[in-house]
Amino acid sequence: MLRRFTLPLVMLLLAYVLWVGSEFMELALGVAFFIFGMICLEDGFKTFAGGALEALLQRSTDRLWKSLTLGITSTTLMQSSTLVSLITISFVSSEMISLAAGIGIILGANIGTSTGAWLIAGLGLKVDIASYAMPILVFGVLLLMQKSKRVKGLGNLILGVGFLFFGIHFMKEGFTVFQLGFDLSAYSMTGIYGVLVFTLIGTLITFIMQSSHATLLIVIAALAAGQVSYENALALSIGASLGSAISAVIAGFAANLGGKRLAAAQVVFSLVTSLLAILLINPLIQLVDWMSGYLSIGSEDYLLKLALFQTLFRVLGALVFMPFISQVEALLIKVLRFVPKSIEQPIYIYPEVLETPSTVVVAVRKEVQHLFDNAFGLLARGLSLKRSTLESEESLSTAVKTTKRIFPLDVEDAYEEKIKSLHSEIVAFISEAQMRESTREATEELYVLRQASRDIVSAVKGMKHLHNNLSRYGLSANLAVRDRYDQIRLDLARLLRELQVLLAEEPSSTTALSLDSLRLAVQKASRTMTDELDEMIRYRRLTASIATSIMNDENYVTGIANNLISAVNALLTREVDETAEAFNLDEADIQQLMNKEVDSPLESLKS
Amino acid sequence: MKAKKLMELVSQFLDADSKTQQEEIKSIRKVLKELKGKELKLRAKLAEKTHSDPEDAEAIKLKLDVIYAQRRKGVMKVFTLKRKSVTNKNTDKVDD
Repeated sequence: MLRRFTLPLVMLLLAYVLWVGSEFMELALGVAFFIFGMICLEDGFKTFAGGALEALLQRSTDRLWKSLTLGITSTTLMQSSTLVSLITISFVSSEMISLAAGIGIILGANIGTSTGAWLIAGLGLKVDIASYAMPILVFGVLLLMQKSKRVKGLGNLILGVGFLFFGIHFMKEGFTVFQLGFDLSAYSMTGIYGVLVFTLIGTLITFIMQSSHATLLIVIAALAAGQVSYENALALSIGASLGSAISAVIAGFAANLGGKRLAAAQVVFSLVTSLLAILLINPLIQLVDWMSGYLSIGSEDYLLKLALFQTLFRVLGALVFMPFISQVEALLIKVLRFVPKSIEQPIYIYPEVLETPSTVVVAVRKEVQHLFDNAFGLLARGLSLKRSTLESEESLSTAVKTTKRIFPLDVEDAYEEKIKSLHSEIVAFISEAQMRESTREATEELYVLRQASRDIVSAVKGMKHLHNNLSRYGLSANLAVRDRYDQIRLDLARLLRELQVLLAEEPSSTTALSLDSLRLAVQKASRTMTDELDEMIRYRRLTASIATSIMNDENYVTGIANNLISAVNALLTREVDETAEAFNLDEADIQQLMNKEVDSPLESLKS
Repeated sequence: MKAKKLMELVSQFLDADSKTQQEEIKSIRKVLKELKGKELKLRAKLAEKTHSDPEDAEAIKLKLDVIYAQRRKGVMKVFTLKRKSVTNKNTDKVDD
């Protein structure tokens, strides 16, 4: 509720401030340009992600010092710790790098952030960088207009640099204008209260702008214009570090387990660093003064001294944190894990069941059915339909057509919680059972049931791919696209409903035979969809790229459907039923029905 | 009882293959009956859905097609088994 009104309120407030105080105009424009520049840089680097960046990340994280250096250099180059953090989170999540290596990169990125302060303080406010920004922007736009993705990416990078420069320029100008009307320095505070209040202000500014870089820019520009005192500027910069921890918490909520752990590490690190900086602010100021003498920084050059302070307290934080990385990693792995309650526990398979081969088979069959039930719920949600809708007799086509939103679903997490754990237990249990004395029939049935469990897992994995495109195109404004995805959802929903009804039925000789009609329906749906898509491409109602996306998704659906049918077939077939085999339609029979070559109805049978 | 009839009974008793075939025919007939029952239920459902939900009606028609095909396979199997049984008997008679 609050979130819905936050943006309009902020915009209204900003509009009022800009209307009343035109002095703010350039300042606000500077911040806007700076943030836009960072977005362009992020977009530009993302274009090159998947290549050199990933390779570099993987190769350079086997030692802590390498991770740290990588974090520092990549953030220095990209001027965006957010992008480095995001890429690191994705690598930790996919287990391509360890959590410890990820923490190392985050520490490095935090130090790397302070290089921005050096750039702005040392160069940005002393040189007229706006004059460099103009030609940079011209070339950036030119490259952005090209077709090649890589050239466009390069254009984004150049534009990003240009807008960063412009942002710095306007902020500087903004504070100069601002100075004429207001004197914020009158509100400066000293002592520990000053440190705490300005740290809080810095945290708030960073939280609002979601960028410690932008906060640092404001602080440096305000310091250059004499709007804040040096001590208060230091406290503001500590706040910038703390503020980025809040951003990390927000990012962590949305991330998966790896991301959550890394975000937690970032929060702990930011808290430790900020706390150290607040507690040791006076010794740090003395250290800055002392080091400034060696680095030829003038005693009145507060901008560079602020940059030095930034670097020092961040390095200090990293130095204090580094010896405990492995302990922090172990602690995070221990504390942050999939909540055991949500991990699906087997219901029917337990050691006592292993006593006789027949109980093993019955228990495993029930457990696989339990797995199917979990997959049913997950697949229903993946189709953005309520489980209750599939289990009722409600019209599925109405439910699909009236869908207003695609349900958010982390299929990977749901798979880990509800499917993988159970499948692993089933496989382990069957292996254990096979080591004991068993009958040939029981061994055969267990083999079939293990395959059924694997089929269910494959079906859920298929949904992982399908859900991505459903989220993108499922409710497309293009009716032709929406119709196709509606059809895909409807076909799969119908199948799920039919399969559940079959499993719930009292088993008879003909129960498993019903699966033949489902096989035929799947093949027919697939052929119809392909024919429709071909026609749409021919008459240019759909672009070939979207049509191929739909074809791929249709392929996933066919795979999911076939896997589910195979699994249910295994669950329904109690033993090798030779009578039923006489009726089962083979591939040739189904093809015949597809081509409508079968004589219908069988008059001979009626007699 | 005539000797010929007695011989026939003994032969049937000893001919396990023929007995199995009879049992198979019996169980196939049972499935055929179940399928017929299913078909009737689906026909009733089809009559309901033809106007109210054409898509559901299509799905039911498809199921009916499959049941026709399955029953046809079952009937063919019964014919084959019966023919086999008759052929066996004829062969036995010729042997006599």
